[in-house]
Amino acid sequence: MTRIKRGYIARKRRTKIRLFTSSFRGAHSRLTRTISQQKIKALVSANRDRDRKKRGFRGLWIHRINAIIGKNKKKQYNRYSNLLYNMYKGQWLLNHKIVAQMGILKGNCLLMIANEIIT
Amino acid sequence: MKMVNAFNMKRAAAGLRRINLDGLRWRVFDAKGQILGRLASQIATVVQGKDKPTYTPNRDDGDMCIVLNAKDVCVTGRKLTDKVYYWHTGQVLCLKHFSLNIDIMVYRYVGHLKERTFKDQMAKDPTEVIRKAVLRMLPRNKLRDDRDRKLRIFPGSEHPFGDRPLEPYVMPPRSVREMRPRERRAMVRAQKKAEQQQQNTDGTKKGKKREAPEESA
Repeated sequence: MTRIKRGYIARKRRTKIRLFTSSFRGAHSRLTRTISQQKIKALVSANRDRDRKKRGFRGLWIHRINAIIGKNKKKQYNRYSNLLYNMYKGQWLLNHKIVAQMGILKGNCLLMIANEIIT
Repeated sequence: MKMVNAFNMKRAAAGLRRINLDGLRWRVFDAKGQILGRLASQIATVVQGKDKPTYTPNRDDGDMCIVLNAKDVCVTGRKLTDKVYYWHTGQVLCLKHFSLNIDIMVYRYVGHLKERTFKDQMAKDPTEVIRKAVLRMLPRNKLRDDRDRKLRIFPGSEHPFGDRPLEPYVMPPRSVREMRPRERRAMVRAQKKAEQQQQNTDGTKKGKKREAPEESA
């Protein structure tokens, strides 16, 4: 068999990975083997966290809605749970993101609506 | 945790420059007659900024909390004598790996477990009691120290922040559970005793009063 050198095939492949990992810290952007490992880990995290992000933001919105609703001292049951229950009962179909944004930007509007809805 | 030996008013007012005070409210908590843990839990939510609709977990946006009358904070049960604060002295030099599974702390200076009861701590520095309670209720992350800086606790009702726009914090309504049967019996007994004592003193008083008009007459 004729002798075939590998040449720069491996290097071509690895430079692409290196570009991806170029902003990582320390050995994770310098050493060839760790670069390959870190790229895999980073992509795994990104994939998993794309779904986690949705969860995380929903939790944050719920928290914010609870905070703004709790300020309304007039009603007895001024909680997120009550607001949601009455929203569904009254067929007020808004998602959590919008309600949370309302709470930040137009807090008074949200409190007015909540007063009417929450029995 | 650093233990302050006595309360220092200057120290309580210092360090305001390190906090970005724009848009932060100054909430005043009155600890008089409040139960320690319940008050601390409310303070912790306010200091984290969790009662604001703009709460963000990676940013510290809590209000400045001023706690007054820290020496009048109450605890239930036998905690006045039985609650003990523990802390360990000695300085850790390094964590040594003796084998893959064992990590042993190597101490530079040998220290001991120290303890102090609630009563003694109140005598020494009543503000530390509330401060410990609140700090231990905050999440242990990088924002904890900044939140500590926003807490200003005073043993009495005097504080150097009179010129700031202060808002008193109204504690949420609380449902106190009914007394346990043994406690209730003890309370009834104590009440009866107090009534009897009053009757005795009234009896002697009435006797004296009767004597006086007789004398005058």
